[in-house]
Amino acid sequence: MPRRKKTTTKETPAHSTGAAVRSFWSGTITFGLVSIPVDLLSAVRPRQTALKLVDKDGHALGRQYHCAKEGKKLDNDELVRGYETDDGKIVEITDEEFESVAPEMSGDIEMRSFVPLEQIPPMYFQKPYFLAPSGKSARAYHLLATTMEKTGRVGIGSFVMRGHEYLVAIVPDHGVLRADTLRYADEIRTPEDVGLPKRSKAGKHAAQLEKEIESLTRSELDTSELDDQEAQALQQLVAEKQKDSDNVIHQSGLEEADADAAAGGAKVIDLMAVLRRSLSKNAVVSSANSSAPIDLAERRAQRANAASTSPAKRKTSTAHRKSPRKTTRRKKASRA
Amino acid sequence: MASRAIWKGAIQLGKHEVGVKLYAAIQDRTVHFRMLHRKDDAPVEQHIVRKDTGKDVPKADMRKAFALSKTTAVILEPEELEKLVPPESREIELLRFIPPAALGDQWYDRPYYLGPDEDNDSYFSLVHALERKNVIGVARWVMRKKRYVGALSTFDGYLVMSTLRRAEQVLSFSGIEPAKTAAPNANELKLGQQLVESIAGDFDPQLWQNDYRQRLDKLIAAKARGEKLERHVPKKRKPQASLADSLRASIAATKEKKVA
Repeated sequence: MPRRKKTTTKETPAHSTGAAVRSFWSGTITFGLVSIPVDLLSAVRPRQTALKLVDKDGHALGRQYHCAKEGKKLDNDELVRGYETDDGKIVEITDEEFESVAPEMSGDIEMRSFVPLEQIPPMYFQKPYFLAPSGKSARAYHLLATTMEKTGRVGIGSFVMRGHEYLVAIVPDHGVLRADTLRYADEIRTPEDVGLPKRSKAGKHAAQLEKEIESLTRSELDTSELDDQEAQALQQLVAEKQKDSDNVIHQSGLEEADADAAAGGAKVIDLMAVLRRSLSKNAVVSSANSSAPIDLAERRAQRANAASTSPAKRKTSTAHRKSPRKTTRRKKASRA
Repeated sequence: MASRAIWKGAIQLGKHEVGVKLYAAIQDRTVHFRMLHRKDDAPVEQHIVRKDTGKDVPKADMRKAFALSKTTAVILEPEELEKLVPPESREIELLRFIPPAALGDQWYDRPYYLGPDEDNDSYFSLVHALERKNVIGVARWVMRKKRYVGALSTFDGYLVMSTLRRAEQVLSFSGIEPAKTAAPNANELKLGQQLVESIAGDFDPQLWQNDYRQRLDKLIAAKARGEKLERHVPKKRKPQASLADSLRASIAATKEKKVA
């Protein structure tokens, strides 16, 4: 039963957890015959806007599956997944069948190629993770990070996590390695797929627009412009309501809801402690509000040029091509 | 097939206004399943119930709560949440322009194409202006009752707006320096660089296929036709030597491959 306690103790929101992040996966980065055991940790924290479902009195709510035909509650072992074909037929896929097509349970991220970072269009980046060295691999880890910083190249590979196969770029970030999952080429639509109108030349306002852009151009990002205004408004409302302790509900059911939210029970760990132990004793982790210019800045600056080659046009490219593609039909046209 | 715009907006830049339509740039390839009752293959219904009693709760009695700690929360009434909804607007406000390098990859969330809304002239003027200045715009707008922040850039001669993560979500580092015992030596650094260069290439996304998704698609297609599929056989991995030896052996291996 929820109790409405008459206390005025102010509690800190469960969301503000400093550098606590989730640990998802442990495995090995390999390049050539070198292997580096790592733990994969989330590099982004959830937005602080998540709300829990409760009833009017504050009892925690949850989902339950019922059979539409029989109208009774179903346990997990009574459930099976089905695929609805275009003609409305339902095809049942058993757990064994899912297993038979599942990716190998390999614990490796094999970097098969090192590519210039600026060649990866931002559209491909999906979700960033941090890689923390586990075991005695700090030396090889530093070597990989330093080498990638020096060459401006990032490792591309794929790996399997929770039964899914991810394409990933291993990117150095201030001495730490990040594994940024990438979208597959067939997940990115081309302007032609979308049906955008034919490209045309700059119109009569182009020069004026350039001036407007110039006047608003700064050298750095201002992260305060990326503050979460929704979260702030929500927290303000909560703080206001919290003043009246009648509004605060206390119960144990919420704890379960928290565990559910962890989706698969990923461990919560302190990122800073992990990095200080495994990598560098002076490691400092802060939220992006203290963002400094990034090391691969120069390389990224070239991205604007490299990115103007669309994935559709890359179909004709070959793996052994030596020079980075920087000039395209579009670029030439725009310079003319 | 041309897609439908999901939203219409207007980019404000000084006294100029560029009308745009927003289109999804991501094609969802995830295979979605329905949950069925094993016994009769009937689709299941989801019920929202009280966790302690398992009793159904009518929609009118459902509330949202903000968790303060693991065991305490504040209930937020629908009318209170309604007041937080930002006012509807078509405006896409540009806050500043920055070099593309000033925005790390970890900020990018979800990309959308922007297409012209009737006025092609000002749309392509903006494309060209952005390309010439080689900058990206930091933008803010309200869409479908939610606030967004985004990066306005060009791709292949068109405008792209990627939604961005919020400042509180992204983590950054400083002070990472290897301990003396873990710092790679000059020889290792040289070998490392050689190895990276030996498997250097261009980013070609077409080389990477999601094999799992393809096998799953095949399985579903085969089952829909009433056939069975063969199992695929997993592969094995090699053992490991010292760092310098591994680097040397790897470089040798890639050289052999190139000759072959």
